[in-house]
Amino acid sequence: MAADTASLHAAMEFVRTGALEASLPEPRIGELDLLIEEIFMNVCRYAYPDGRRGVVTLTYSVPAPGDLRVEVADQGAEFNPLTAAPPDLTLDLESRPIGGLGIFLVKSLAPSIAYRRDRDWNRLTFGMSAGS
Amino acid sequence: MTIVTIERRQVADQVVLLVSGRMDADNAPQFEQQCRACIAEGLTGLVVDLGELKYVSSMGLRSFISVAKTLQDKGGALRICRLTGLVKQVFEITGLSGSFPVYESVEAALIGG
Repeated sequence: MAADTASLHAAMEFVRTGALEASLPEPRIGELDLLIEEIFMNVCRYAYPDGRRGVVTLTYSVPAPGDLRVEVADQGAEFNPLTAAPPDLTLDLESRPIGGLGIFLVKSLAPSIAYRRDRDWNRLTFGMSAGS
Repeated sequence: MTIVTIERRQVADQVVLLVSGRMDADNAPQFEQQCRACIAEGLTGLVVDLGELKYVSSMGLRSFISVAKTLQDKGGALRICRLTGLVKQVFEITGLSGSFPVYESVEAALIGG
């Protein structure tokens, strides 16, 4: 689909189909929505900075009941969002930057997330289990 | 799936905003606009009741932090109450539960102000 914020809800709906197939419980589905929103919006904002219309592909698989694997891929410039420095959570409100929490949330909710550059593609993969 | 509703009521010089539904990249600006409208009216004591909010992403968190900073500059405060479920989890992961004044109930938040 187009790497465009207008596609965000379609992306969430698509991965939710996988969550239903994997019979993930409601709390996991909420976390999954959050992971997809953060990763998808990150691609929309940063993958195609030169203004060209880019694509993002979403793939899911259910290797076993209660287990969902998701891959989000784009053809933007090589970029591993997982290397971003973590935010300083000890700062008081006055000193806190307004942004910078999205990828931190992703890494917290999906500890197994991995990045790889595959020819022209950035590929982020993560798993979500019914019990995790 | 994307709907957020915000109900506003005034208690003395404080405003209570009951935020229900889901706050994502699409509709977080709606919440921020409501808060900024209150600030423009000179109301700087905001209590945000999140008891009916089911989902918040980092875009929602940006709005909370941004509004709270503005209120702080004006000598006011953004108080949050009734964090639950995923929303509570997100506030805790990001350390915002410790950055904002967080209360168990609207009444406690109003007294806190």
